[in-house]
Amino acid sequence: MADTMEGVVSTTQEQPEVQNDDTKTVDDILSNFGLLERAVAEFDARFTLRALRSISSLRKRLSPTVLCQAIASTYPPNSPTARTLCQATGVDDATLQTLLSQAEQKAREDKHNSRDPKEVVPEIDIYIGILIQVYLYDNKHHQTGAEFSSRLVDRIRELNRRTLDSLAAKAYFYFALFHEALDPKPPSRQSPVTSIRGKLLAALRSSVLRKDQDTQAAVLTLLLRNYISTADITQADLLVAQTQFPSTAPNNQVARYLYYLGRIRAVQLSYTEAQAHLTSATRKAPSSAVAAGFYQSSTKFLVVVELLMGDIPDRAVFSQPRLERALEPYFRLVQAVRVGDLHAFQQVVQTHSKSFHQDGTYTLILRLRQNVIKTGIRMLSLSYSRISLRDICIRLGLDTEESAEYIVAKAIRDGVIEATIDSEKGYMETKKAGDVYATREPAEAFHERIRACLTIHDECVKAMRYPMNQHRLELKNAQEARERERELAKEIQDGDIDEDDAAGDFEGL
Amino acid sequence: MAEQDLRNLLKQLHQSLGSHNYTQSTSLLSRAKIALLKLNALIPSPQTSQPHLRLAREALELGALTSIHLKDPESFTRYFQQLQPFYSLPEDVLPREGGNASKITGLYLLLLLSMGDYAGFHTLLESLEVAAAQAREHGRGGKGLEDDVFIQYPIRLEQALMEGAYDKVWGETTSERVPSEEFGVFSEVLINTIRSEIASCSERAYSSVPIANCKNLLFLDSEGAVVQFARQRDWIAKDGRIYFPQHNQDLMGSEKDILVTSDKVIENTLGYARELETIV
Repeated sequence: MADTMEGVVSTTQEQPEVQNDDTKTVDDILSNFGLLERAVAEFDARFTLRALRSISSLRKRLSPTVLCQAIASTYPPNSPTARTLCQATGVDDATLQTLLSQAEQKAREDKHNSRDPKEVVPEIDIYIGILIQVYLYDNKHHQTGAEFSSRLVDRIRELNRRTLDSLAAKAYFYFALFHEALDPKPPSRQSPVTSIRGKLLAALRSSVLRKDQDTQAAVLTLLLRNYISTADITQADLLVAQTQFPSTAPNNQVARYLYYLGRIRAVQLSYTEAQAHLTSATRKAPSSAVAAGFYQSSTKFLVVVELLMGDIPDRAVFSQPRLERALEPYFRLVQAVRVGDLHAFQQVVQTHSKSFHQDGTYTLILRLRQNVIKTGIRMLSLSYSRISLRDICIRLGLDTEESAEYIVAKAIRDGVIEATIDSEKGYMETKKAGDVYATREPAEAFHERIRACLTIHDECVKAMRYPMNQHRLELKNAQEARERERELAKEIQDGDIDEDDAAGDFEGL
Repeated sequence: MAEQDLRNLLKQLHQSLGSHNYTQSTSLLSRAKIALLKLNALIPSPQTSQPHLRLAREALELGALTSIHLKDPESFTRYFQQLQPFYSLPEDVLPREGGNASKITGLYLLLLLSMGDYAGFHTLLESLEVAAAQAREHGRGGKGLEDDVFIQYPIRLEQALMEGAYDKVWGETTSERVPSEEFGVFSEVLINTIRSEIASCSERAYSSVPIANCKNLLFLDSEGAVVQFARQRDWIAKDGRIYFPQHNQDLMGSEKDILVTSDKVIENTLGYARELETIV
């Protein structure tokens, strides 16, 4: 498994040395505080989301000095919160002291301008906390980050404010990420990820009780990831069975959830379900370059699951520029399965076993052996109307003729081929293939597609957003239009206006 | 005090297992478990000392083996679950040496296989694979999953079963390739499973088979047994051949098919109409 969370590509850090740049970053951060305050005042999560979105552009420019400056200019001097936050950035005391005194001076000047120091909303505390988490993670201070994150999520739980929800989701995300990066890394049983399960489960419970859907979705995916990272598939399955994924969760969380669900189902051999989940996960995956990792990983699983179902993935999947290199081993695998060549299959598994292990698809791929044999039999039955079991045995690379007989019999029973075996003369005879269009298969395929289209339509309708009170505006417009009309009619009656002009006006309405 | 008792009990347990006196083992086991409770070692806690952990593991493993001999899958599953916390302890707290982790796990895999619980089988296998990869990475415990006879046995069986190479399954269960006597207990179940699998495959694959061939196919001892088996499954034995009654069933099926299909088509079309109505 990759060390970073799927969907997050850690960015290389460039330290901006220019003072100007720093001031600009501080200003950017401070402007986000305005958004957060507005979010609290108007109780609208959209502003919080906007503040969170800007993290990705801020992230490369963060440094302890920048963070401390932002903190110092926000909080009143000698605020304990400010001091703790500053310390968490790992800035040394001397710099901190100068920064604080600068801020104090500034605050005094502000007082001259007769501005009262405002009360700082907790949202800002947490927002700065997240910025610090991001900074620590990018600079690989995993141990400090883990400790700081634990304190941060504890504080969020104490606060219990609905305007914090989307911030809390982010904080928990980094909280889990830090613990994953600590030694010993999962899938070791002693990994610290096992120790945070209690905290995550508690967070899940309280978020459900508080109808906090952002945190609920985030924590649920984190828990699933946590369980899967140590291969506790049973626990993950039980968790899925006992919980409900919030329907209003953000798209990225839905994609993650579906991805993990698909992985669980694949291990449990429910390939149809796994395929459905993984397909949605790949489609919902963000298309930006940062999330390429997630897209690759989910496509890898999708390819393997499709192979297990007996389908051959589309060639076009492998020629996408984002996937071409990452999916190369899988491409070779598909080639081997497609022609039903057992030797080539085993060779591919052997040469690429390391990357398969890394992707966590190895055990799934081992199960493919029977599919390779089945495809081989299907190819043989398509090309020969009658073939001896001995030849089948040689062509498929099986051990004995007896095995071949049983395997062919099973393929017939499973509906892979339409054939009969003559056991005395030792050959397999293919039945004449029926006309596919006489069956209900085309109708079913058609129905499947129509249903997919209808689901997309429904989802689009549900996803549409209507601004609040917009209809009142329209009503007002209509009212005005009607009034104008009446006036116009009156004027016509009075004979003040030419008929032509009036007609033109009407069309304009 | 309790520790000494436990040691004695375990010694007796080994003896009773060796002499196949399983009823005695059961009573000894319950006494051993009480002793473990007194030592507070039935469930590992950070305070439990290493010798106690070893004793507890040994007692539970013996319990698991006894329940296999007694053909009691529920109690075996219980022992297996109880052993899990011991097996997941780190190497320096409880070394794997001296334990029978792979043997018990292999038996549990085989149990899942014989019950047809493939999902459970693969779920467990997945975690074993991950653990093995972990061990390999750290360069300790050098023994990978591939070299573990007890684990490889059920894996090989599962592969053969899924492929349909039933003669391989037969070969594995009858010969001396069974890794230990406990594994032999499952052979009977497995043979019954594959026999019914083969029977259902044959029904579809052959129109008729000579009885002599059928005997080989089903791994039965005599032609008489074949005829008896055929009667159980409603096959017709005539002129030294077995006829499978499947063709007329197929015809019946296709006629029924049309009826079902027309229903489905009407339902779908109505559905489309309704959706169109809501969209337009």
